[in-house]
Amino acid sequence: MMRKVLILVLLAVLVFGCAQEEKKPEATPTPKPAATETPKPTPTPEKTATPPPFGGKKEVVIGVIGPMALPEGTAEKNAAMLAAKEINAQGGILGLKVRVVVGDTKLKPDEATKEFRRLATEEKADMITGGFSSGIMSAMMEVMAETKTVFLADASSPAHPAMVAKEYDKYKYWFRISQNNGSTFAWDLAEMIDYLRDQGVTVNKVYIIRDEHVWTDAVMKGLTPLLEERNIEIVGDEKVPRGYTEYEQLLLDAQDKGADLIMPILAIAGTGDVLAKQWAELQIPALLAGHDLAAIDAGFYEKTGGAANYYIFLADGGVLVTAPPTEMAAKFVEAYKKEYGHYPESHQAYGAYDAVYIYKMAVEAAYKAGEKNPFDPDVVVKYLEKYKPGNPAKLTRNVAFHKNHALVWGDDYVRNWIAQWQDGKQYIIYPSTVANGQLKLPPWI
Amino acid sequence: MIDIAVRIIVYGAVVGGIWALVASGFSLIFGVARILNFAHGIFFILAAYLGIVLAKSGVNPYLATLISILFVGGFAVAIYTGLLARIKEHEVMVIIVTLAIALLVEQILIIIFGEHGISYPALISGVLRIGKTPITYKRILAFVVAVVVLALLELFIHKTRTGKMIMASSQNYEGALLVGINVDRIFIITMFLSAVLAGIGGVLYTQVFAASPAASLKALIFAFAIVILGGLGSIKGSIVAAFIIGYIITITNQFLGAQWAEFAALLVIIAILVFKPTGLFGVEE
Repeated sequence: MMRKVLILVLLAVLVFGCAQEEKKPEATPTPKPAATETPKPTPTPEKTATPPPFGGKKEVVIGVIGPMALPEGTAEKNAAMLAAKEINAQGGILGLKVRVVVGDTKLKPDEATKEFRRLATEEKADMITGGFSSGIMSAMMEVMAETKTVFLADASSPAHPAMVAKEYDKYKYWFRISQNNGSTFAWDLAEMIDYLRDQGVTVNKVYIIRDEHVWTDAVMKGLTPLLEERNIEIVGDEKVPRGYTEYEQLLLDAQDKGADLIMPILAIAGTGDVLAKQWAELQIPALLAGHDLAAIDAGFYEKTGGAANYYIFLADGGVLVTAPPTEMAAKFVEAYKKEYGHYPESHQAYGAYDAVYIYKMAVEAAYKAGEKNPFDPDVVVKYLEKYKPGNPAKLTRNVAFHKNHALVWGDDYVRNWIAQWQDGKQYIIYPSTVANGQLKLPPWI
Repeated sequence: MIDIAVRIIVYGAVVGGIWALVASGFSLIFGVARILNFAHGIFFILAAYLGIVLAKSGVNPYLATLISILFVGGFAVAIYTGLLARIKEHEVMVIIVTLAIALLVEQILIIIFGEHGISYPALISGVLRIGKTPITYKRILAFVVAVVVLALLELFIHKTRTGKMIMASSQNYEGALLVGINVDRIFIITMFLSAVLAGIGGVLYTQVFAASPAASLKALIFAFAIVILGGLGSIKGSIVAAFIIGYIITITNQFLGAQWAEFAALLVIIAILVFKPTGLFGVEE
């Protein structure tokens, strides 16, 4: 009897264990900063002796939602709180104080929708920012549509703007603020290879290690023809589950197949540190260059014990601490460090910070235009949509939205910078307009 | 082809050796005290995190490792004497309490360290090349330590007086009491050993890979699956089963792809249990 109970328990544990694999992160491209652009200071609301009534509104509530045990979530929370603090010091939004409320998705769709609903209905959030993870985002978008809450979101799947395009009236409250569509990763990765070739690096065979997740399928769909155009052979395409650690066998497989470049496309696996460590220890004669969300963390080098040296990665989200693309970004990273004792732990911080400010800008623009209730979500959407190609909001990045509310990708907007870890520091190595370092090759290559 | 064979032999042995340590500890405390310890994975990862913290604080990495392993042994004894000793007759209660401890500690680790991995400070570095196959000294160290510790465990259980008392207690609780064995003391020693084995496994694992709070659940799942496969309470069975699992993972990785590795291992476990429900070395109760 005991054995049967134990076997049942084992099966339950196995199912539970498998269920933990659900987490999904998001990927983001980074914008290219216009070197000379100085972000316009956020409009300061005119202080009025008596705030406009706005239906008796007494405060502006900003919701932050994300996985609060992960750097992505804590960065969003910290950045939004910093923005609110700065805005309150300037008099708030249209004279109303900003209050930040936080929801924890725990990277689970059910928790995420429950928390989103709580923020929207109980906390009465005027705008919610955050998200992280495309699968979870899709679930939250339904609650967003139901509660008509402006959602400046963090997710990279092309599916979300497609929903906006398909059912605009229902999903128009959703805007992507943190990063580009996942499909733009393909362009960034192809440019990374072009850059390496320009630097004299031979790249003819690529071995891909990617998340076992739908978001990487979209990347591969775009990347495969781009590699074919460049006569590059994909000699390996390995999918790894969340928490995967046995990279050594994959690295040796890449070596056996003559790969010149090992390209991670990782966000959900969460073990890019192990990959970097094993690549460095085995001194595999192929560059490690691709997208790894973990590598953007300013503490990544230390966490890998220095094994991240020479790791080439995409600085997702448009900002790298060591090379902020705008004046506002430069001020923000230093303010963040002053407030929290360290630089932003993930790129999601820039999106959340920008979200609060662009919301403020839209509300104030609506007010100046004579809108009766500038906080009305339908009104806010109308004014957010004014930030479009040719008229970006100059924040920590140059933020503009397409008609489907996806973030505009490009050197003058938001895109992934090609960056590299060198002796404990992150450097942007491409494009030259923002580069603050040059490519360095590992001594064993 | 020889290179691939070398890879499979070496990598499978390392993975198997680490999981054998963890599973032996799990099996030991279950076999002796009938405690199904769902907090076992916590000992595995706690030793690693403590070692990392100590080493980063300037403590010699080897000394940090020793301290952290002994600490989890002491922590396990505290859990046993403070909680489990009072409820060990109630198997379901033991499961609930140990599971609660596991979840609590995991959450604390997440709050302190976050969910992303941290590497254990290198106890050894370098690469040995066998043909075209590079093998890190860390893997070699992990395998050697695992084998030595398992051999010492075998000697301790079968050749020492305390070990024999542990065996006696596992075979017949009342009988052990009748011949004058202080069974409670034996249970405490066993709990200590069980946690130390998990702690050693944790340090070796995070040397090769990385420490993350989620690894505690992974360790528990592997320990549980291996113990069931090897036969409940059979240390020998756990060791054999651990190497079977290690090689299935390695071979699947090599020939089918990374995403199938753990799936294949669990499939084999289920298949074996269908034909031999008592596990490889288990006996009918």
